[in-house]
Amino acid sequence: MRFTICAAKPEDCKDIARMIMELAVYEKMPDQVKISHKELERDGFGPNPFYQCLVAEVPEEHKSKDGHTKVGYALFFYTYSTWKGRTVYMEDLYVMPEYRGKGMGKALIATVAKVAKEQHCVRLQFSVLDWNKPSLDFYLSKGAEDLTAKEGWHFLRFHGIALDNLAQEAP
Amino acid sequence: MANFILRKAEPKDVSDILRLIKKMANFILRKAEPKDVSDILRLIKELAKFEEMEEQVVLTEKELLEDGFGDHPFYHCVVAEVPKDKQSVEGYTVVGFAMYYFTYDPWIGKLLYLEDFYVMKEFRGYGIGSEILKRLSETAVKARCSGMHFIVAEWNTSSIEFYKRRGAADLSHEEGWRLYEIDKRNLLKMTSK
Repeated sequence: MRFTICAAKPEDCKDIARMIMELAVYEKMPDQVKISHKELERDGFGPNPFYQCLVAEVPEEHKSKDGHTKVGYALFFYTYSTWKGRTVYMEDLYVMPEYRGKGMGKALIATVAKVAKEQHCVRLQFSVLDWNKPSLDFYLSKGAEDLTAKEGWHFLRFHGIALDNLAQEAP
Repeated sequence: MANFILRKAEPKDVSDILRLIKKMANFILRKAEPKDVSDILRLIKELAKFEEMEEQVVLTEKELLEDGFGDHPFYHCVVAEVPKDKQSVEGYTVVGFAMYYFTYDPWIGKLLYLEDFYVMKEFRGYGIGSEILKRLSETAVKARCSGMHFIVAEWNTSSIEFYKRRGAADLSHEEGWRLYEIDKRNLLKMTSK
């Protein structure tokens, strides 16, 4: 099946928001999605973009049963390692189930890798849920290493009320 | 566990009291400037040494300068500075730092990501770390971030306790997230296929 991988445009945000929700459902956390295509547009296409996004598109004749031609995406941004320097962090990588197995996931991550190389980034990081075997297998086949297992890293966060409380804490 | 007594001070204690007064934190937090890069690199290496991964620091002052103070900053940094009369044993006045940048969660939007956070050992216990964390959380709230994220090594119980006391949640433990990495060699392999 023919497909293209292109940098997302503001008008793609509705499709991206749709696929973000599909991925959240797969990750069993759909109630955690709080933003819509409006925030995506504001935050990705303003003068100071907070993320970059690639979209995988198929021709009209291969559109999904719901009529979509935008069938996959990769959302990423630049981060910084005090040890190694510039890094790309891939926040989301998703291809609609009916379009899997056709090389789109591979093409999306390879394009992210190409952007990383062009920006002189030294590595690509991302996180995967420990039960997500199909994704783990995909990434391991590309040479990914589990740093949580290897070096013991855990993700922590201050969120919502905890963040507000921290900001108000007396010195 | 600490075995100590509290007692009223006596005349013989004055030199110890003066020593402790001088030690008391008198510090400022400010945005890092280009002139701070060598101190920042020094502190990065000290933290890496504590994390038992000192040999993994390959970053140079030149890269820190270009990447933090060039046209496209990849990070932001705050430093804690003490006055000259409170300098460290080796003569340093920049005694702590935090490096952060903004990331994006497609579920909740902007986030502040805390990359490194470190205060020199001899300057701990005076509230510098707490003040840095407070400043960062103010920055996060002002920038409309939904949260502040960071990673901590699971053996680093003192840091984990510091964060948990302040309301942090362990997402690896609660939701099963694991950190993965594809290094440069494998990245290049992907682009050449």
